[in-house]
Amino acid sequence: MIIGTRKPLAEIQDMVKKYDRLLVVGCDTCVAECASGGRREVAELAAALDMAFRLAGREKKIQEASVDRQCVHEFLLDVVEAAQDQDAVLSLACGAGVQALATRLPETPVFPGLNTQFIGETAQRGLWLENCRGCGNCLLGLTGGICPVTRCAKSLLNGPCGGARAGLCEITFAKGIDREVPCAWLQIYDRLLSLGEVDRLLEITPPKDWSTGGGAGPRQVVRPDQQA
Amino acid sequence: MPQNLTIVVMACRQAVPDPALLLGALQTSGLSPRVIPEPCSSKVEVFQMLRTLADEADLLWVVGCPEGACQMVEGTFRMAKRVGHAREYLQEIGLEPERLGIAQFFADNQEAVAALISEIKERAKTLGANPARAQAPPAKEQP
Repeated sequence: MIIGTRKPLAEIQDMVKKYDRLLVVGCDTCVAECASGGRREVAELAAALDMAFRLAGREKKIQEASVDRQCVHEFLLDVVEAAQDQDAVLSLACGAGVQALATRLPETPVFPGLNTQFIGETAQRGLWLENCRGCGNCLLGLTGGICPVTRCAKSLLNGPCGGARAGLCEITFAKGIDREVPCAWLQIYDRLLSLGEVDRLLEITPPKDWSTGGGAGPRQVVRPDQQA
Repeated sequence: MPQNLTIVVMACRQAVPDPALLLGALQTSGLSPRVIPEPCSSKVEVFQMLRTLADEADLLWVVGCPEGACQMVEGTFRMAKRVGHAREYLQEIGLEPERLGIAQFFADNQEAVAALISEIKERAKTLGANPARAQAPPAKEQP
């Protein structure tokens, strides 16, 4: 799923300060799961903005809405209607949701309330990990289900690099890194060892064609069988 | 003591089985209290805390059982985390996080209840009216 984090309140406040009627719109799928953009977070942000603007001496009319998926146009019909008498819309969806909503509201400014971070996994309650870069050519079948493109700091396709210490990637020891980053290639080795398939590491993976990963501009998927 | 400050207490029914006692003590102190009974303090969400401070309350307290005594096992623990998150939000807003209080005690601990009332009175005296609250809060009846 897509992981997002709320922008600082001051940044949000600055973006929408000139609008008196504001609609805050949540998305109840990915960003609700990571507790940043679902209906609860919409209610939190609406109350917070209400108070912040009041402290700044400005009263705003802030309304709330939420949809199942902001990135799917069919789900946006009610929001588009609700936005008709608003001065601006603040979306708590990922970047795809914000853009879908903006497409549907050509005459209303739409602002992002979140910073979209990555495609991730809920590893435990309150912990989300980046595990996929959407490179368009999945290698997980070769690497025991652990993605070197995402989880190796150098995105090496033939690793490890030699910089790992005590099972940790060398970036763990770099200044400013406040967490332990496991060496993805040691994880891949351990995983293949436990599967009895460590001989896969003898295969040399050729250089990757990055045109599938955004190197050839914005991507699209067309499925004629799904089209109207 | 500033008069007519609205104090909202969201209280676990196990910790505060008789809200009238708390209510009476706060009223006697010249405050306008409302006690909202909750099945567990962990039922109080961050957005409810923020909304309450935006719409109605000068001060808000969430009261639960001591950790280890919560009927929902980790309800008190969750409540403390949520109050912490809501306080961080208040800091971002520019409102004193001390307007949101927390208390944990057993139902029969009269000393803890007295300490809570005294803390609320002290906080009301120090902080006064909530400048981020709606000017004409909607009238809400004591349940």
